[in-house]
Amino acid sequence: MSDSHEHWLKQIDAELDGEMSLAERALLAKHLAACSHCSGARASQLEVRVALARSAGDPHARVVPRPTIRGRALAFWAVMALAVGVAGGWLAHGRWGGPGGSLEDSRAAIVVH
Amino acid sequence: MRRSSSISAPGVFALAALLWAAQGPGTRVTYRVRVVQDGLLELARGSVSGPAGTDLRFALRDDTAEVEALFQIVPEGDTVLVSAEFFTRRRINRSRRGLGLWEQDSYRRSVRLAWGDTARVHLFGRPRRGAAPDAGLWVHVVLVRGFSGGEGRPAEELEVLDATMNIVLEAVVRPRRARVVMNLVRGDTVSGPRGYDLVPEAPARRVQLAMAGRTTTLEIGLTRPEPAKSARDRVLALDADVVCLRIATPEVAQPVGVVCGRLNDVARRLPLPGGDTLVATFAWPAGR
Repeated sequence: MSDSHEHWLKQIDAELDGEMSLAERALLAKHLAACSHCSGARASQLEVRVALARSAGDPHARVVPRPTIRGRALAFWAVMALAVGVAGGWLAHGRWGGPGGSLEDSRAAIVVH
Repeated sequence: MRRSSSISAPGVFALAALLWAAQGPGTRVTYRVRVVQDGLLELARGSVSGPAGTDLRFALRDDTAEVEALFQIVPEGDTVLVSAEFFTRRRINRSRRGLGLWEQDSYRRSVRLAWGDTARVHLFGRPRRGAAPDAGLWVHVVLVRGFSGGEGRPAEELEVLDATMNIVLEAVVRPRRARVVMNLVRGDTVSGPRGYDLVPEAPARRVQLAMAGRTTTLEIGLTRPEPAKSARDRVLALDADVVCLRIATPEVAQPVGVVCGRLNDVARRLPLPGGDTLVATFAWPAGR
């Protein structure tokens, strides 16, 4: 783990402890948006704290769910949706036809020989 | 200093005669038409001819497509400007209830060509890239002009070689004159027929019809009909051979009535104020 991540993990601790100013929280949020590693670490930290709070009898503690769709899964489903759309369009064109190219191409043309 | 001319007087006369023959009323225009599929299969061939100003109405119909066009020409020297107004309908599919769904289109095309040249009309657009240049359905139109030889009537000739298609070639001529034959009828009494050669839009003329010893005086004038209501009828000139006879009596300024009809010898009736009925038939003037 690099020094940079060490720094941000400390920042995450401070944020969860409520010890950060608004400007520092904004800076951290900006980093979390770009760093999946740190955002995962923050979620883990949060889960640990919630578990501790629940074991301590805090009735309002809730487990924050992790994102269930990861990047690869999202890409897979996007490709699947695209493929289904293309196949559906192909079948619909075969069944109901379509404009059949541009209108001008379908119009009569006079050529001098 | 006097310049000498290289054109002799007989030459000038011959040139003038040629121009008169080419542009004047003695000119006859012929459209030679061939309908061809994929450059090999001839579906129909024919020709339409008539005096200068004759247009060609072409129609091709089958179960899935209809193409109608009116070809008009404007001679300009040794060339001729051909313009065609197209109305097309194509069946694109069937509705859920099994009825045909049609796509309708109208547009205009024009091209300039020399007399005797061939215009190829690709009815459904030019062949796509990669396809044979003769692919698809097209129409060959060759325009020829010549001396009328005193023949003023239009002529049509068509030989359809493929019975699955309905192909129509029609000459469209707007009459310069019309033969109007009129009778008066009252009950069982009919007056003798009186025929008149009338020119559309000419001033009204006074005519007299005698029946049972009584003479009826009418003022008659021939006019063109009102423009057709539908764009298709108007552009395809479906009312080209329709004329209207305006009838008035000398005593009344307003016309008694108007009778319109094609030049097809069908009797048209118009009740007159005095109880008589005027029967008028319209026909092409007798050939000269």
